Amino acid sequence: MKRLTKALGTVAVIGSMGIGAVHAQDLSFMGYSYAEETARPSVEKIISGFEAASGLKVEPIGSAWGDMQKNLFLRARSKTLPDVVQISERWLPTFSALGLVDYNEVFGAETLSEIYAPEALAMGQIDGKQLALPLMSGSIGMVANKAVLDQAGIADMPTTIEEFEAALVAVRDNVPNSVPYAMATINPNSILLDYMIWTWTFGGRIIDDEGKVVVDSPESRAALEFMVGLMSDRLAAPEVDRPDARRLLAQNVSAFYIDAPQSRSFLRSFSGQGEAFDVNIQPIAVPVANEGDESKSIQWGHMIISFAQSNPPVADDANMKFVNYLADDAVQTQFPVELSALPGTLAARQNPAIADDAYLSAWAEFNQTPVMNEIGIWDNGAELTQIIGEEVQAALLGQKSSDDAIASMAGRLQASMDKLAN
Amino acid sequence: MSTHSNSRDQVLNYPVSPLAKRSGLKGAQRRIGLLMLIPAAAAFVLVILYPFGQALGLSMFEFTLQSIEPVFVGVDNFQAVLSSPEALQSFFITLIYVGCSTLGALVFGLGWALILNQPFRGRGTLRAMTLLPWVVPSTVSAFIWGWIFNSRYGVMNAFLLEIGAIDMPQAWLSTPEGAMLAVVLTRIWRAIPLFMAFFLAGLQNLDREQIDAARVDGASNWAILRDHILPHLRPVLMVVVILGAIGGLQDFDTIYALTGGGPVRATAVLSVEVYRRAFEQWDIGMASAIGVLWVATLVPPAIFYLRVLVKGNR
Repeated sequence: MKRLTKALGTVAVIGSMGIGAVHAQDLSFMGYSYAEETARPSVEKIISGFEAASGLKVEPIGSAWGDMQKNLFLRARSKTLPDVVQISERWLPTFSALGLVDYNEVFGAETLSEIYAPEALAMGQIDGKQLALPLMSGSIGMVANKAVLDQAGIADMPTTIEEFEAALVAVRDNVPNSVPYAMATINPNSILLDYMIWTWTFGGRIIDDEGKVVVDSPESRAALEFMVGLMSDRLAAPEVDRPDARRLLAQNVSAFYIDAPQSRSFLRSFSGQGEAFDVNIQPIAVPVANEGDESKSIQWGHMIISFAQSNPPVADDANMKFVNYLADDAVQTQFPVELSALPGTLAARQNPAIADDAYLSAWAEFNQTPVMNEIGIWDNGAELTQIIGEEVQAALLGQKSSDDAIASMAGRLQASMDKLAN
Repeated sequence: MSTHSNSRDQVLNYPVSPLAKRSGLKGAQRRIGLLMLIPAAAAFVLVILYPFGQALGLSMFEFTLQSIEPVFVGVDNFQAVLSSPEALQSFFITLIYVGCSTLGALVFGLGWALILNQPFRGRGTLRAMTLLPWVVPSTVSAFIWGWIFNSRYGVMNAFLLEIGAIDMPQAWLSTPEGAMLAVVLTRIWRAIPLFMAFFLAGLQNLDREQIDAARVDGASNWAILRDHILPHLRPVLMVVVILGAIGGLQDFDTIYALTGGGPVRATAVLSVEVYRRAFEQWDIGMASAIGVLWVATLVPPAIFYLRVLVKGNR
């Protein structure tokens, strides 16, 4: 009996500790930056700043970027959704079905438009609702290595495809063992971004806004033929993924690649030179097919979504206070800058720390009208990405002609979209 | 004879305790045997049978990550798999991978066992070192071979350039043949120690006098291998081939780490296909259907292996 009493007592104590632990947190914040070694201290700084200012406790939950969608859906299924979540802008349509807080109802659309930059705010809108707010924004565009271009005798950055190819040839012929353009040629996730940008540049699309597969067009074929040409002329190389591209640029053996503005952080780190390497990094506008065309880039951003803590959600909820704090200058001039990206708020963008940053200013200047990722927004985005990656790679490696690859891609994408519609 | 039958009668007529049960000692042994079987049987049910049952069930549902509730679709997933050129290609790729890697490991494992069966100085050390590829984690093996075949920094290109066999570095892992060769070689490299150990154990029972006699009769090395060694190793050979094939069918980590199933789909064996469908595309129903068919391909060699084992024990 004594033993039983002791055991029950222990269980009660442990139980109360557990309950206490649950009550100790006022809100949970799930994000992928918290799972990244380099960005984790920045997130911890945000959380400690909020806790000091509000007296509320935040439970941080880390999840690798690649696992975020899976983990959030699994949490939805097990009814253990976090209160605030950091997401990639392209996942918003998929997550919108989970019942997100409409920030317009909590803070008011007018107030939000006074705080956030319009193009950043637009990334979080679906059907007139503001389902996500920007933590930081930017685009996926082109980065050049000035040291390599200098070595190749290129003084001016290319603005058209013709100039771009000429620059690549100069790099190939003047920089030994170089990969002039570190185009992604493995990993479907990476190939997709290169192909999508070039398809848009040539005036084509892959899937339109209504979900119709439109890739089987002369423009899309031209884009693929252009990429195949780069491979056959040894202006791009096989076995290159985004991380490889970053290393090639950081080692001064590659002149161009496509990435998000965080590129600078990677290049600083991989070159081993830190900020001293900045002089070599130059964001440029993606070259256009014809003089006067608009340069293309892909929308990119870290967004914040929330799940209601009260019904209806109000600004006084702990998670809404945290979301509000994320728009504070203390956060917006710290977190995006540490990750080499643009803040989402207008005030932070005018802050000297941002306005005087030549790299970020150049990035904003050259990527003014980023377009939404037309593949990642669909529920079957992973399958679509795999299909596009496989078909483009087949053409790049000479296993299929560009025509065959595009025809096969169109058929497979349509089948996947039909399955989604049913 | 009469003495023998008398003692037998004595045993049969020995007074039996009235408490003794009819089933006697054998029955008790059987019960203890069954009792001792319980932990293994429980582990089998929990770790293999139950998950397999779950997978079999899921294969009949449309179940993606976004779907809150799975929808029963019967055999639709199986029909989709069997009518999908990509999925069928995975079966073919698996066949090539398993066939080539098992054959390669068999040839090199046997050859190496024959060498290590010869008396020479340092044989023990060499035998121990041969186990190294088996001890090294599979992903580490994949990265080693990945570096060997790397187009920019690889040893293979450096060597071939040095001897003048190629003019410029080749992207081995970017061709279907090169990628398949790389994953097969990695598998062979990892499997040789196991094959070699089996063959070496089998060679220990080989009658040396028989070999010596054949040599005296003028038999060549090939004739000795064909007429004496291989027939002697036949039971081992069968077990090793079956185990090798099963191991090849189950292989995932090496291939995924080395090529990710590419380029395009050149090395997308069934295990990679299941992983992609389940954890990249989150189509659990389709992944389960392919998984069930994959298990079905494992069943014939497994049954064959068990029959060989049972026959051996008799």
